[in-house]
Amino acid sequence: MSAKRERPHGRREIGREEISGWFDGEKGLIDKNIYVDPDIYELELDRLFGRAWNFMCHETHIPAVGDYFITYIGEDQVIAVRDESGIVQVLLNTCTHRGNMLCRAEMGNAKSFHCTYHGWNFGLDGKLLAVPGGANFYRGKLDMEEWSLQKAAKVEHYKGFYFATLDPDAPSLHDYLGEVGRIGIDQMAVHGELVAVDGVQKNVIDCNWKIAVDNLYDWYHVNFSHRSAIRVGFVGSSVMQPMQQMVMLGEYGHAIGGPGISEEQQAELDKLGDEERARLDRMSFEERAKLAPRISERRPIRPKHMKEVMGPVGVRAMGHPNIFPNLWVSTRALQLSLRLPRGPLQTEVWWFTFLPKNYTAEQRRTAMKYMTHSFGPAGLLEQDDGENWTYSTKAALGRVARRRPQNLQMGLGEDEVREDPSGQMSIETRVNEHAQRWHYRCWSDWLRAESWDELKRSKSRVPTGRI
Amino acid sequence: MSAARAERGATFGRLPPHEQMVLHYQVEQFLYHEADLLDRRRYREWLELVAEDVHYWMPIRRTVTLREIDREFTRVGDMAYYDDNYSDLRLRVEKLYTGSSWSEDPPSRTRHFVTNVQVTDLEGDLVSVRSAIQLYRSRMEDVSESFCGRREDRLRRHGEGFRLVQRHIYLDHTVIHATNLSSLF
Ligand code: FES
Ligand SMILES: [Fe+2]
Repeated sequence: MSAKRERPHGRREIGREEISGWFDGEKGLIDKNIYVDPDIYELELDRLFGRAWNFMCHETHIPAVGDYFITYIGEDQVIAVRDESGIVQVLLNTCTHRGNMLCRAEMGNAKSFHCTYHGWNFGLDGKLLAVPGGANFYRGKLDMEEWSLQKAAKVEHYKGFYFATLDPDAPSLHDYLGEVGRIGIDQMAVHGELVAVDGVQKNVIDCNWKIAVDNLYDWYHVNFSHRSAIRVGFVGSSVMQPMQQMVMLGEYGHAIGGPGISEEQQAELDKLGDEERARLDRMSFEERAKLAPRISERRPIRPKHMKEVMGPVGVRAMGHPNIFPNLWVSTRALQLSLRLPRGPLQTEVWWFTFLPKNYTAEQRRTAMKYMTHSFGPAGLLEQDDGENWTYSTKAALGRVARRRPQNLQMGLGEDEVREDPSGQMSIETRVNEHAQRWHYRCWSDWLRAESWDELKRSKSRVPTGRI
Repeated sequence: MSAARAERGATFGRLPPHEQMVLHYQVEQFLYHEADLLDRRRYREWLELVAEDVHYWMPIRRTVTLREIDREFTRVGDMAYYDDNYSDLRLRVEKLYTGSSWSEDPPSRTRHFVTNVQVTDLEGDLVSVRSAIQLYRSRMEDVSESFCGRREDRLRRHGEGFRLVQRHIYLDHTVIHATNLSSLF
């Protein structure tokens, strides 16, 4: 893509050097301007959202032919739809005639899409099928092929989770996710065959999308931001800020950050079969603490085979994965959250919820109870997040405040990246900001690179040694 | 019987007009009273008006075509914004008194407008009430939000007054244009 096409008139030129100055990984400093500058935001739409694999929906959101779900790639609205041959298509939701929004319901089932403006009709695969007056007004000369809907360049899924990219040069989804991204999604797949629960929670927060994203790695804020939820006993404080933390970093910016279980704890677990694990998992935490004090903390106990799937290190990671750039897999791993950019100063937060197909009514109730009450705008936890992000963003509008960088220094230079004989790498430590730093470091790689080819060549390698 | 009376449920419709008026008045006064308690931040007193078997629920609304309008709201058991029983509501209320419930400390300034009140049914000591609500919320110095919706309530007679047994809130919004839903509806 030429620089000219990327930057319409009026936008200032942003050079590599400027981009390199926004995040200083050696000092752990972030330029606040990246949260408010409209030109930086535009660059993100082009080089990050326009290039990355973006999460669309799960296969069970659109199980039947004609089922569709409206979502976004950056600010491009797209239709994820199952076409007549059962393939998931991702189509730009804008009529090729004059640009009107084509599909106006956010979900449903359609035989084809009719534009409400002049009635152009498009098939589920995006083909322009018919235009009113095609013979009469266009004299039969309209090139139906040429005026078909624009499609995402690639649509692929990993274990039923569909992603799309607008850039034909993007690597395969498998390669894009890499081991860490795949482990992130495996956290969900652990629970068996999943079905999307009807209903996506959506709300708009006045904050920059990156602040909403990097917060998912932040296990420092929980004891303070969520103190009231802890006080009333909704969650325990040891659950909210476990001392044992583990971070895994993945190429292109994926990461998992949060609690982890030690090798010793895993060795204890390895002795248990699936039935015993399930029994422990069902117990109250107090009961579990008595019976198996070394694996007592409130975490899902993974079934035995997951060690093969996630690897000996991955299976111990209990933190929050982020699929770069903006898909959070929640730690209970039955919910996904998208943090959709809506201009530099707004983010739309979506929560998708899943349940394993084989759950009993009782298990379903317990899981739903936790999920309806934790996250989403009314969630007892998430209620108290939004304003922190809003005012962290807004402060950057102040001319003097903006000059002073933000501090992202926790644990910088204090830890070691350990490599397991399996090749999996992890940082095992206390509460830290390694994953946040990795997020911004990769983010600046994405913005500096002018193409996928360049990004593949110039991206940061997963660090080894001291970090 | 007029259509309006049929719509209002057989039992309520069969009451003599003055009894309908008295019940309607009592119901309205109850709704105004609890709205007033919420706006005056007397949450614990509000909770006293809630029955222990309450279901407090706000489904998710979606933009769908008329042909698929039955999918407009999520159903009970699927995803919702609120799906609370009494102990959940008590958590929400007690959270507000912890001194660290940052989304409401400093507190929001709310105004509950309750209108279009209709008694829709009467079954023993249970009264079904439909109302329209606008919840205006002002926060900090720069937040001004407004939520509109319909409530389907059930009230149980309790001494001279009522207890809230069901509050189903059907918002008129699909995407919530607010940082959070930290208020009670
Ligand atoms: S804009 Fe869609 S038919 Fe004209
Ligand atoms: Fe949080």
